[in-house]
Amino acid sequence: MTTPSDTTTNTSLQPYPFHIEPSAVPDFDRRAEKFLAAFAAILDHSNYRFLVELYARVTARCGRCAASCQVYQASSDPRDVPCYRTGLLLDVYRQHLSDSGRWFNRLVSEDSLGSDKIDEMAELFYRCTACRRCSLDCPLGIDHGLIARLGRYVLSEAGIAPKGLVVSVREQLEGPTGNTSAIPLPALLDNLEFLQDEISETKAALVKFPVDQAGAEYIFFPAVSDYLMEADTLMGNAAVLHAAGISWTIGSQYFDGINYGLFYNDWVLERIIQKLVGEAHRLQARKILVGECGHAARSARQFVPAFANGQGLPVVSILELTWQALREGKLRLKKDAVTERVTYHDPCNIARSGWIVDQPRRLLCSFVGDFVEMQPHGRENYCCGGGGGLVSLDETYDFRMRVSGKLKAEQIQASGAQIVATPCANCKKQLRELVAYYKLPVQVVGVHDLVLRAIEL
Amino acid sequence: MPTWMVLAKGPVFLFVLTLALLGLLRLALLTTWDIAAAIRRAGFRQIPYRQVALQTISWLVPFGRLHRNRAGYSLASFGLHLSLLAVSFFLRNHLDILRANTGLTWMPFPKPALDALALAGILAATTMLFHRLYAAGSRRLSTPADYLLLLLILGLFVSGYLAGRAWNPIPYDGLMLFHTLGGMALVALVPFTKIAHCVLFPLIRLGTEAAWHLTPQGGSRVVQSLHGAQGRKL
Repeated sequence: MTTPSDTTTNTSLQPYPFHIEPSAVPDFDRRAEKFLAAFAAILDHSNYRFLVELYARVTARCGRCAASCQVYQASSDPRDVPCYRTGLLLDVYRQHLSDSGRWFNRLVSEDSLGSDKIDEMAELFYRCTACRRCSLDCPLGIDHGLIARLGRYVLSEAGIAPKGLVVSVREQLEGPTGNTSAIPLPALLDNLEFLQDEISETKAALVKFPVDQAGAEYIFFPAVSDYLMEADTLMGNAAVLHAAGISWTIGSQYFDGINYGLFYNDWVLERIIQKLVGEAHRLQARKILVGECGHAARSARQFVPAFANGQGLPVVSILELTWQALREGKLRLKKDAVTERVTYHDPCNIARSGWIVDQPRRLLCSFVGDFVEMQPHGRENYCCGGGGGLVSLDETYDFRMRVSGKLKAEQIQASGAQIVATPCANCKKQLRELVAYYKLPVQVVGVHDLVLRAIEL
Repeated sequence: MPTWMVLAKGPVFLFVLTLALLGLLRLALLTTWDIAAAIRRAGFRQIPYRQVALQTISWLVPFGRLHRNRAGYSLASFGLHLSLLAVSFFLRNHLDILRANTGLTWMPFPKPALDALALAGILAATTMLFHRLYAAGSRRLSTPADYLLLLLILGLFVSGYLAGRAWNPIPYDGLMLFHTLGGMALVALVPFTKIAHCVLFPLIRLGTEAAWHLTPQGGSRVVQSLHGAQGRKL
């Protein structure tokens, strides 16, 4: 595959491949000191210390993870080998925060942490797409994705976090609209009315988007950007819920499934989960339904039980629900409704653990005449290249196209598919940019976009 | 009695062995305690123990996985582990030393099989050494300790193998002194180096799973600790 010539340049004045807010690090020259303070505080108040100690003790640096990392495979830069990146944080721990390291520093040498180390970590932790594919291949079981996330967490508490993530989260947690896309409630309501009219026209059925229905079985949290950009996905979601006779609602006080805390900060992660759960309790919903979004589904599924103070609700993905409705005979999907060749891209956050792998495939195969797989796929899929929040950072475009997304583009091309279906807002954005960049004749859609084409109401 | 025999059957070896065993026991107990404490602190305490155990076992016997990724290196690594364990624990001479020190012994493996495994170990250690030296990614990852441990293990395999050969060109007692001192050094290093994974391996995946079970209010406490009770704005 030829790589188009690229003229994109990094216009950031800062030493990272992503923009940061200067106000977040007023004493930038003291960033190493702040990093150590943040790392120490995190180790003191979290569950990470024993793991860092354990990893630091046993890591063998065998490099087997290199072969499973798509970033390294594309860049051939030894710094992209997952265990090299992990080693940077473990070295800081060994030399400055472990008991033996502190004694050694006190007795033998005062080896201070340099800013160059911090800058290298900031660069490399954000070259990782947090796909965790390497964790499947580490004989010892070291989770480099967890360490990359911990590294980002420490950096963020030292003031070094991508502006693209921080600004969105600030609007979501402290801003007037309370969501990452800054959609005001009236605009959302207008949009829902538009979607309702649109389905009425195309499907000749009254499919509602209920808002603030107290006592519904499900409260629905899609990636909020779907309201702006993925009308077909949302209409597909609503059509399924309507056809299956499921009671559901959207909350007017909080309606965003996105949780960037999963990518870089525990404090943010917990606060967003609490907003999600708070809205569910306000409307007395019995379950949380997450739309087509990999990281939103994983963060809710994994962390609602942890952060809901014993008031957690079951978390269900729309993919599970749709597949269940089809199995129970509640959906009528027109066989061969989609005649183009279709392939499915697994979002890492729902596939790597094996949670959602078969359900969307069986669903698609029920109405797609020509379904093909990419190789590898399922739990061992390649990331779209925009994972770990990178797709939200426009300044990483060049990297995402030429390095982290390269293998995925090759996979798509090799599949010969005309349509790539993927149930994730971030993956869709990245894949659309990829197919445009590599000029692939492929359409990227959500799974429920195709369900909408096939469903009979 | 030659010096190496005095070392191997005397109190020095017993001291080294005791140090290694106590060190490993300490590591295993502390890590288990830490994992249990992490699970107690977590907001959600259900751990998929069966899944974790199956994953761990599948890497203990990784026959279905080795060929899938860096096959040569992976096979060498597996071969090194296998031969190191077999030769260390099932060679009659080693068992004699163990019995002299502790009274413990068990059935040795046949010598021809262990000779073949020793050769496999030499080949595996050499392959891994060259891989670290000449594969760009691995060279960048490797530390002096990685090379020294591999060289030590290679030296032990070579000296042990040569010592059992009639055509050995090196003076026997000198060779055995090197082998004995090297072996004791390796045993002593076990709890202090990455070889500690020999007892920690079953706990690593469990620890990873436990660490993903985050602590409620952990993030808030970090913010308070760094910025005081008023916290910080995003």
